[in-house]
Amino acid sequence: MNFVQDPALWYGVAGTCAAAVYVARSRTTVRNLRERNRLLAEDVRMRDDEIDNVVRVLLPALVETGERLKGSLLLHDELRATPYAQNIETVVEMFTTAVEDARDRADHSAKNALKAAMRTLQALAGEQQLAISEMQNNYVDAQLLQDLLAIDHMNSQFGRRAQVIAALCGGWTGRQRAAAPLYDVMRGAKGRIRDYLRVEIRMQSNVAVIGRAVEPVALAVAELLDNAASYSPPHTTVEINFQTVPNGVCVMVDDAGVGMHEEARQSAARYLGATEPVGITRLGHPPQFGFPVIGMLAAQYGFTVSVDTRSPYGGMRAVLMLPSELLTTAVDTEPAPVPAQRRVARVPRAAAGEVRPAAPATTTPVADEGTAALDGELPQRRRRAPLPVDRTHQPAPTDASDRSDAETAGLMGAFLRGTRSGRVPDTDDKGQENR
Amino acid sequence: MTNDPTAKSDAPDLVRPYVITRGRGHPTREGLDLVSLVIALPGDESPHILDPESTRLLALCRGGILSVAEVAAHLKLPIGVVKVLLSDLMDTGLVATRRPIPTAELPKTQLLQEVLDGLARL
Repeated sequence: MNFVQDPALWYGVAGTCAAAVYVARSRTTVRNLRERNRLLAEDVRMRDDEIDNVVRVLLPALVETGERLKGSLLLHDELRATPYAQNIETVVEMFTTAVEDARDRADHSAKNALKAAMRTLQALAGEQQLAISEMQNNYVDAQLLQDLLAIDHMNSQFGRRAQVIAALCGGWTGRQRAAAPLYDVMRGAKGRIRDYLRVEIRMQSNVAVIGRAVEPVALAVAELLDNAASYSPPHTTVEINFQTVPNGVCVMVDDAGVGMHEEARQSAARYLGATEPVGITRLGHPPQFGFPVIGMLAAQYGFTVSVDTRSPYGGMRAVLMLPSELLTTAVDTEPAPVPAQRRVARVPRAAAGEVRPAAPATTTPVADEGTAALDGELPQRRRRAPLPVDRTHQPAPTDASDRSDAETAGLMGAFLRGTRSGRVPDTDDKGQENR
Repeated sequence: MTNDPTAKSDAPDLVRPYVITRGRGHPTREGLDLVSLVIALPGDESPHILDPESTRLLALCRGGILSVAEVAAHLKLPIGVVKVLLSDLMDTGLVATRRPIPTAELPKTQLLQEVLDGLARL
């Protein structure tokens, strides 16, 4: 029997070959599978990273800032354009919308609540101010007046705080006023801050602010002054100057402080240039109302405020630009006896063609401010002619005041006639009586 | 400050009295009262930068002698505030005040005395 013819051998050979082929193939398969496995593991790791990033970084950032995330949401670019990446984007987007909605709702209800609360406080501050005014008018004692002035000042500050919050919440900025001289608006603003005695208004102006802008401008300037006074040493002054420009008037508030650091300046500029209402819930802790409310009032009433210049005194210079639309010529209802030289002291506002370094507005006192006080209900009386100081004024002052020269002459004539007619027949009687 | 008196009476003052007096309730001079007479002295106020209220006060008194009470009524300011302003103006020499002549007895007797003396000389 031939060995070769043994079928068992052939079976064995065939089996071996098959086994070899099988082993070779399964090796390839295993290698492929391992590779695939590695890729899959890598993919899973990337996805884990991504979801981890979403949970630990992106969403907390969203919650923290409340602002839409910028830049790529993915850590691994390989996943870009996969359904997985799209889903992550969808999740973040939905979360963003939800956060924004919640914040808007919170903001809205916070604003409404604050607005209502502030309205009550504003009304109370107003009432209190009227009561204080009445007391100031009723009592003449100097010490009492001194105390009332201090209370009045505190009440004004209190009113301003309420007004600022109300204005920020889109509420009532205060009573509608009649047009008021710019100088008075500045003094009104000055009186609303704690350190008002440090504020000096360096010049007077012959322009007035139109009625609807009086309160907003006063409020915005008060905030600028408060800021200037708080960030400058207590012994320095805060100055207000006016500068006429071609399309309006600039109010400059200078302090001698240390100025603002870059970050604060940028934040202020952002608020001052804001065109949308500011979220009340994003003003920090404690909330900073100043620049946000100035920005809001500026946008609402059409003036501009900038804080990007340095003051010549080293601190900050805030510039509030009042456009011509918000200005009018000075409210001029002076009483008759105002000396003529003060009337010529005005400089036409439109005449300034360019920004001049020197003061364009008049620095001489202008008798515009509040001269309309003579239209009231109180009895008022003015003498016809000045009397010399040193001459003794014989009759009771209240009697002589209403007489014109003609009346006085008539009275004197009557007196003379009377004495003359009395002298003629009764000389002796009188003489005897006298003796 | 307004052409509409109703608006004025309703709105609180824009410029509060403590701003006008710079926080002072006590006048620098004693002896001013409601019936003290105020006289604007001749002189130039231009070296002094005056507040609008002081300017108005001076302008008022240029027209003749007024009492403190009348000045306050014209300026629509509390009496105490007017006293502070007045004493400031007195310090700068722009205004003088004088005690009022007592109205009831003294002038009458003086006058009578003079009439008597005059008659006695006849």
